[in-house]
Amino acid sequence: MSKLLKRALKIAIWPAIVMIAAKILGILGINALYGLDYYIDNQIQGIYSVQICYSEPSSAILVNSLSDIIMITALALPTFYFTSKTLLYQTSFQNPRTIVKITELNILKWITKKGTTFLQIFIWSSFLITSSAITVAHSIQGNAYNWVGITAIIVGILTIWGTIKTYQLETDKIYPRENIYY
Amino acid sequence: MAIQSFKTKKILSKLSEPLLIVVLILVFVIPVISVLNLTPTTGTIKKSDVLGTSTQSGCTIDLIGGQHKIFSSEKLTQAEGINTFEYTLTIGKRAAGTYSKPILRIKNKTDQPKTITFDGQTTTNTKSDIFLLSGNKSYILQNNLGVTHTEKIVFNPGEEKIIFLSVVNSSGVQFSENFKMTIQIEQ
Repeated sequence: MSKLLKRALKIAIWPAIVMIAAKILGILGINALYGLDYYIDNQIQGIYSVQICYSEPSSAILVNSLSDIIMITALALPTFYFTSKTLLYQTSFQNPRTIVKITELNILKWITKKGTTFLQIFIWSSFLITSSAITVAHSIQGNAYNWVGITAIIVGILTIWGTIKTYQLETDKIYPRENIYY
Repeated sequence: MAIQSFKTKKILSKLSEPLLIVVLILVFVIPVISVLNLTPTTGTIKKSDVLGTSTQSGCTIDLIGGQHKIFSSEKLTQAEGINTFEYTLTIGKRAAGTYSKPILRIKNKTDQPKTITFDGQTTTNTKSDIFLLSGNKSYILQNNLGVTHTEKIVFNPGEEKIIFLSVVNSSGVQFSENFKMTIQIEQ
């Protein structure tokens, strides 16, 4: 059995759980926070027979917008942590200034290779980009605020940039770009 | 023996790889579908054929159901907001006479009186009088000229009433007609 597939599956389970849990907890949290009237509909559409309905469209938009933001944040925090950790770790090899800055900020222990791989970053980024795309779609459909859609676009672009940058650093390890050393 | 076991293990390992790919795809697809399904919607979508509904206003509306030779295909659905319901049924072809059936059991669970508005009509006019009956009172929804009336029934705190639908026609009707009634619980 492919080790890569097994590892990918092992990694992918966590962002999948985080994505669903953040959305559900976001909806429940916003309902509790704003004391919104909602009811559970049991019409069978899609894979779930349960759907949360509001009598006011403004309530549905509010809950959808904020739960989308919570979902993106829950996925973005670990993704940006893994990406920045890897980027700083790799850059510190090539740039002594980075090491000095890291030492000044006293985060030398934080910048390690341990527990972070390109596969992990790629999978978390994929989930984050998907979540951003869903949020943008909600915004376009009028089910979420515009600023939520714009935030999702920015997060999506940053994620893509971070993934490409990490990929570039990984390929540099195999095929070093000599011009940056000489 | 050991070689055979090794070969079996290798074959099984190779066979499980496509399955693992499918599982991996599912791990990506399921959260996406879940999030899309969890998207909150407004009350404009209709509930399909609910047998009993507890409303936000504290009233319960239950469809009594059962078999009847004239009345069939009863449905109680929630529409356009949490306190509005739609009751539909088919009134079959019939001879001249009076027909009635218990259709709804409504209970006011609050400690305040509640007014429920009924507004019903058939899609075609078959010169029938259509009433709602509650206790010894009748409430006309549509007369034999096709003129509709909005009727209000007051429910006292804790009161439960059985609502009957009654159809009166002086001549036989040779085709079925659809009846639709909107039930609005006033706040």
